[in-house]
Amino acid sequence: MTTMTDTQTSRVRSTAGTKGVTFAGVLRSEWIKLFSLMSTRVLLLLTLVAIVGVGALAVLIRFSFLDEMARQARDQGQTLTPEMMAQTFPPGSGFDLYNLPNAGLQIGILVLGSLAVLFISSEYATGMIRSTMNAVPRRTPAFVAKAILLAVISYVITTIAAVATFLIAMPVFQGLGLDLDWSTDGVLYSVFTGGLYVAGVALIGLSLGALLRNSAGGITVLVGLFFVVSIAASFMTFIPGDFWKYVPQYLPSDAGGRFLSIGHTDGVIDPWQGGMIFLGYVLLFLVPAMIVLKKRDV
Amino acid sequence: MIEATGLTKVYGSKTAVDGVSFTVKAGQVTGFLGPNGAGKSTTMRMIMGLDRPTWGTVTVNGLHYADHKAPLHEVGALLDAKAVHTSRSAYNHLRAMAATHNIPTSRVHEVIEMTGLEAVARKKAGGFSLGMGQRLGIAAALLGDPQTLILDEPVNGLDPEGVLWVRNLVRYLAGQGKTVFLSSHLMSEMAQTADHLIVIGRGRIIADAPVQDIIAGTRQVKTLVRTSAATQLSALLSGDGVTVDQGQPETLEVTGLDARQIAQVALDNRVLVYELTPQQSSLEDAYFDLTKDEVEYHSHLTGGPAGEFAPETAPATAGK
Repeated sequence: MTTMTDTQTSRVRSTAGTKGVTFAGVLRSEWIKLFSLMSTRVLLLLTLVAIVGVGALAVLIRFSFLDEMARQARDQGQTLTPEMMAQTFPPGSGFDLYNLPNAGLQIGILVLGSLAVLFISSEYATGMIRSTMNAVPRRTPAFVAKAILLAVISYVITTIAAVATFLIAMPVFQGLGLDLDWSTDGVLYSVFTGGLYVAGVALIGLSLGALLRNSAGGITVLVGLFFVVSIAASFMTFIPGDFWKYVPQYLPSDAGGRFLSIGHTDGVIDPWQGGMIFLGYVLLFLVPAMIVLKKRDV
Repeated sequence: MIEATGLTKVYGSKTAVDGVSFTVKAGQVTGFLGPNGAGKSTTMRMIMGLDRPTWGTVTVNGLHYADHKAPLHEVGALLDAKAVHTSRSAYNHLRAMAATHNIPTSRVHEVIEMTGLEAVARKKAGGFSLGMGQRLGIAAALLGDPQTLILDEPVNGLDPEGVLWVRNLVRYLAGQGKTVFLSSHLMSEMAQTADHLIVIGRGRIIADAPVQDIIAGTRQVKTLVRTSAATQLSALLSGDGVTVDQGQPETLEVTGLDARQIAQVALDNRVLVYELTPQQSSLEDAYFDLTKDEVEYHSHLTGGPAGEFAPETAPATAGK
């Protein structure tokens, strides 16, 4: 047990510093919080592996499909040209080759989105949020720091995974004689926009965590929003009449997905419009979360 | 200095803190005493800006806590030893808190050493005992070497050595001119630690005075009387404003008369009295005297129908 003489050190004001709260300090604090948990470090590493893994699996599936087509063509004495192969992936069908970097994106959305929910909801669950609010009583800087950190980490991980996935995909399809490399239309666009989409999902996750203050609830709503609603909405297209065919594309998942593709299709929103709609959804969650966080008792 | 003016917090239909005004001065230990659910924690949470007052305002050194440029240097608070992520080590918890104010890591090591946490600093805080959690909370409060210290039930769960350490620490810090505001429901602890007391009951301040004044202010001075004719003397003494308790054989506890008056009655009636001792009133008596009408949860030790166990007022949800 310490004696009174040890507390003498607390008299020296300089030992505790005098700078006060700075945003860089808050950002560093959130960084320490995120990476001082073993679960986060493991999760981020596994996310990277999983995105590339699922991407590689998607590459393998397409390769076997094309390989099978080529074999059948050979059996009938024909030759499958690369042009014919390319036509099996008509633009807008969701199987465009330029989109390969983002083949494992759904895993990234699921894991990084959930991590974002947990980043704040676990603070409510453990009571840590009160320590956070004590250190940063203005509250908003702590939330903004969390948001920046999550967005950047999501972007970096997704982009690294996209590059890795494409590095796996490129030689496979080049081997089949298809024209696919970094200069192919949409490849670089895919590589650099996939991370933006996942970062947006992470921001929605963080907002849900702050609004609901509950890990299970936040993750459930997030999964519902990005997976269940999208599937449910796809059934709308069976409703007679043209109107319902155009509704699903305004959902966050579909608008965000459209943002990752290139080119104009009649009757479908353009990629930039999809991006703006998705950004709108991000703000729709982020702004109320910040207001509620500032006002609510913790 | 902490100044509260008309501070009020209403949770739904329950008023946890009801128009409380007080000043906590620098250079002394101010105790915040009250039964469970009296509004101590809620008041402290409002000082720290965690709860928004329904009405009224509270400032620390002239500003709302959140308006200070360096809040951790201004106020160190232990409000809840559980305000820690259970999977994070004590060291990393303190490091994350320190980073917000650019407090160097050396200071983190200092407070770990001061609170005796060296052996467990790298372990997950979730596995800490109540006492260790309390020490971590105190370490976090001391991190910014604050001018004002707010501690909610700091000795809760500490071993006797730890209790003594906290007592010495807060006395030392008050001696350095810092403001120390300490809550407890243990009057014995307060009697030994505090200079000044603010007593709260059911959300209202019922006393705000130096400890000595509160003890002296207790009207109910008891006198212990040993007599060979307890029943006879008891009957003679009884009257308006006088209570006579007959405990052990030949022993009376008299309230409402002083020793001289009792002796006079005994002399007039030729009753043998062989002991007559005024009982020194303690802070404990003073506290019970002050809060007897304000206790939120009355204990019913005697048996009886279940209905008798119900609190007399609506159960409180606040004050956790």
